[in-house]
Amino acid sequence: MSAQTGRSNNVVMDSLAQIGHCGLFLLRILASVPRSMRYVRETVRQLWFVGAMSLTIIMTCGLFVGMVLGLQLYHVLAIFGGTSATGSVVALAIYRELGPVVTALLFAGRAGTSITAEIGLMRATDQIAAMEMMAVDPIAYVAAPRFLAGLIAMPLLCCVFCAMGVFGGHLVGVSWLGIDNGTFWSNMTATVDVWQDIVSGVVWKSAAFGAVIALIAVFQGYTTPPTSEGVAYATTRTVVASSIAILALDFVLTAFLM
Amino acid sequence: MTTTVPAKSDDRALVRIRGLTTVLSGKTVFDALDLDIPRGKVTAIMGPSGTGKTTLLKHITGQMRSGRGEVRVDGLNVPELSRDQLFQLRERIGYLFQNSALLTDFDVFENVAFPLRQHTKLPEVLIRNIVLTKLQAVGLRGAAALMPNELSGGMARRVALARAIVFDPMLILYDEPFVGLDPIALNQVLKLIRTLNDTLGITSVLVAHELAAIKEVADHVFLIANGKVVAQGDPKTIADDGSPWTRQFFGGEADGPVPFQYPAGDYAQALGFKQGEA
Repeated sequence: MSAQTGRSNNVVMDSLAQIGHCGLFLLRILASVPRSMRYVRETVRQLWFVGAMSLTIIMTCGLFVGMVLGLQLYHVLAIFGGTSATGSVVALAIYRELGPVVTALLFAGRAGTSITAEIGLMRATDQIAAMEMMAVDPIAYVAAPRFLAGLIAMPLLCCVFCAMGVFGGHLVGVSWLGIDNGTFWSNMTATVDVWQDIVSGVVWKSAAFGAVIALIAVFQGYTTPPTSEGVAYATTRTVVASSIAILALDFVLTAFLM
Repeated sequence: MTTTVPAKSDDRALVRIRGLTTVLSGKTVFDALDLDIPRGKVTAIMGPSGTGKTTLLKHITGQMRSGRGEVRVDGLNVPELSRDQLFQLRERIGYLFQNSALLTDFDVFENVAFPLRQHTKLPEVLIRNIVLTKLQAVGLRGAAALMPNELSGGMARRVALARAIVFDPMLILYDEPFVGLDPIALNQVLKLIRTLNDTLGITSVLVAHELAAIKEVADHVFLIANGKVVAQGDPKTIADDGSPWTRQFFGGEADGPVPFQYPAGDYAQALGFKQGEA
């Protein structure tokens, strides 16, 4: 029992220590951001890699999420004779919750893991050590550009996801199920608040998620043991930790932003 | 018991190590190590596996600063340097990693150009000329457009060497430069090390196990074991100095002052035999 307790205590302490290290790592990244401005090309390259290269999965998933949401809501709202509100409910659900959260989960799986694996392999093959030996700060050259790219890419990807989601909802609701096109759009524009739903819901939330995912991904890659098993564990930890962090942070941000 | 060979005080030493004591995971790697590396010479560091040769290079470059004692490079005490001072010092040091450590996103040309792009604002034409000159020196000017995954081990080593010398450093550290090289590549790398050292006036430090190669290229050799320098001298004669360390190491004997077996419990017991059963 005591051994069991001791072990669980260690897990808690290890997790707290890991969070502490991650916080200190964030400070190192933020401190190196002015120096990393020298590497704008590297940041743009990473933005292309984590942002533009994620567009296909984000657009496809956004479309299907919108379509399924339109289908489900149409049938539920039909019970109350409120199918005309389908457009508004689809848009609100996507802007406030599904857009930022699903985009973040997809981003963690698509971009977060590749960032972790890339940096982990750079460490395993001594590329990080080689940069240090060439008097190049790897935090400024490797970590900061990836962190900034995640921070910038997430809100943009979230906007694309939301647009595709609304388009999917429109496709099902208007083109397939026969809701009036004008009703769909006018109800949506009447209920969606630009500041509350789009700026707070889409932009701020997804920027916060982007920062958290990029930090976790870079930290896991940077601190992974330089072995193939270490890199495999680190990529898994990125997905698990990011997913938990996104959902927990979503609750906190929603509570504050409402 | 380890017999320590005292370091001779040499004013021309580029690297001076005094009383270096390093403990890693409870194991004493260096025990008050004293060592001087002379300027302008090729110095080889040899010793059994796990004796801390790479760790010594890490101390010299400040990658490892946890030990006690003094590690001076060109008069600067490395453990006391700030990060900026350390980076300034590293701009004057070339380091050849065991696995070459080329940046896999860049081709050969960009790998060699990388330090120049990071630390200078030279015009592109000049960068191109410097890089091609260095690649020509290592015989790989024609491979400038290849990616690291298209290179053999020996070629990658030579590209890494070109990158290490791109700033004409005062000191080059080679970590196991001969591992995995075929006889042709080995001969070329040996010639390169000697030529670079002589023509550019560089101080070279080699960590290696191959005595035949060391005899060809090195001016001085240190044999490290049990955390201390146990022998040093001319590489052509060190094997014949008669000490039990050199006899065991260069003779490849299992028995001697360096145990072949890692410390372990009773062998028969580990195999499940009871006492007196065998």
